[in-house]
Amino acid sequence: MTRLFKVVRIQLVNKFAVLGMPLLVLAAVFLVNMALYGVMSEPSPGGERITGALMSIYCVMLAVHLQTITQVFPFAAGLSVTRRTFFGATALVVVGQSIGYGVLLYLLNLIERATSGWGLRLQFFALPFLPQDNAPAQLLTYTVPFLFLSFIGVWVGIVFKRWGQPGVYTVVFGAGLLAGALAVAATWQEWWPSIGRFFVEQPPVALLGGYPLALAAVIAAVGYLTLRRATP
Amino acid sequence: MTAVSMRGVNKKYGNVVALDDVSLNFAENRIHGLLGRNGAGKTTIMRILTGQGFESSGSVEVFGQRPYENADVLSHVCFVKESQKYPEMFSVHHALTAASLLYENWDPDFADSLVEEFELPLKRRIKKLSRGQLSALGVIIGLASRAPLTFFDEPYLGLDAVARQRFYDLLLADYAENPRTIVLSTHLIDEVSDLIEHVTLIDAGQVLLDEDAESLRSRAVTVTGPARAVEEFAAGHSELHREQLGGFLRVTLSGAAPEHSPDDLHVEPVSLQQLVVRTTQQAADERTASGATNNKGTRR
Repeated sequence: MTRLFKVVRIQLVNKFAVLGMPLLVLAAVFLVNMALYGVMSEPSPGGERITGALMSIYCVMLAVHLQTITQVFPFAAGLSVTRRTFFGATALVVVGQSIGYGVLLYLLNLIERATSGWGLRLQFFALPFLPQDNAPAQLLTYTVPFLFLSFIGVWVGIVFKRWGQPGVYTVVFGAGLLAGALAVAATWQEWWPSIGRFFVEQPPVALLGGYPLALAAVIAAVGYLTLRRATP
Repeated sequence: MTAVSMRGVNKKYGNVVALDDVSLNFAENRIHGLLGRNGAGKTTIMRILTGQGFESSGSVEVFGQRPYENADVLSHVCFVKESQKYPEMFSVHHALTAASLLYENWDPDFADSLVEEFELPLKRRIKKLSRGQLSALGVIIGLASRAPLTFFDEPYLGLDAVARQRFYDLLLADYAENPRTIVLSTHLIDEVSDLIEHVTLIDAGQVLLDEDAESLRSRAVTVTGPARAVEEFAAGHSELHREQLGGFLRVTLSGAAPEHSPDDLHVEPVSLQQLVVRTTQQAADERTASGATNNKGTRR
């Protein structure tokens, strides 16, 4: 157990690279958006400026934890850390970081609303499709995509360590082929109306929180099984 | 006590046989030399013993247990390798902090003195270090961790002769004060021949020698003299190598040095490096001989 936390500390020995980088990118993207909308003319009354730029921090998380595997894992393995311990420590960091960022984005969202979009009617942090008064749902919705994307990054990193570049291509093409095959099957079997109904009928919390959370758990489990036979 | 034991270990990468029925022991609290040519299988053995790789078949024990994914065993093992990767963003002090967290015997004062000794810049990014500084970082981690089982896989790349000698001196001094099991994999056999107490020679995935360095030193001799006299002398001994120059012949013979030799023959002991080279050559000859007619004249 103590060894697990030591490996967590090793992953965070260089705090800036893991914890700081996503925030730095988010801050930069936010400032650029502010500047951009600051010099643009006012929107018509009632019009909101919605940007998708919040995605940037999620993508950086994926990249950071891809590197946790490709860069820190070979180093930790060189210091005789087992795959099990390393994966456990990675999961702890990912979960902690995701919750931390989730809370942070939620708080920034509150500030954004209180300042009527930073004085520019800018919707940078807000999630327009969520009920604004449901704090737990909002927290979940901010947090879960971090988990989902981080574990995808971790798994792709593990695939790279185990099977190299061909393995990563296989996974990416495989995922594309699978999606394509499902689309063909859905069209052929005329599933689209029921698929559409499913998405409409699901509450947003389940769509953005519940299902991705379950998927993140599955990807994490697959990642661990892949790591068992990977070499550093 | 045995720190490491491999029994009938095989390792295949696809169709390539990296280890072929390897059995060896590393006794506790000794300095072992793991010798052999590039690609002989030395690193594969060390990767399996440190749980980084895995055997295809056979039994592997480190401190009595299988090392793969075994945190109890691996926390006592340190593996310093020439090809060790460090995270892009890490500076030297990040790597040393990480090692200090994981090894319970880590000696921070010793580490500091080693950093000074090798003039390593603590704040520099590891990717900016010179080849020699990178090797020094590995050596510092290997020494200061004081792990009960420490592997050094060609830890000297880019270190000059003076720095290498400092490493050997430091290793020996610290080993005397803190006995532990050390496995040194190296090509610079002459440099470490006084250091190592036990020799394991690997070639083409097989163990050629697994003996005390002391008994190996007295194991082979070269005999030089008139061809006819040397031939007579060599009969009945196992011959490792022969060189002929006109009427003179020099053969390397395995087996204890004879008590008395004819006056016209010159008999001298063979260095560890010579013995390793000749033994490896002989094994290579035998492999070709088993496939085709051997014209190199090696015989037993």
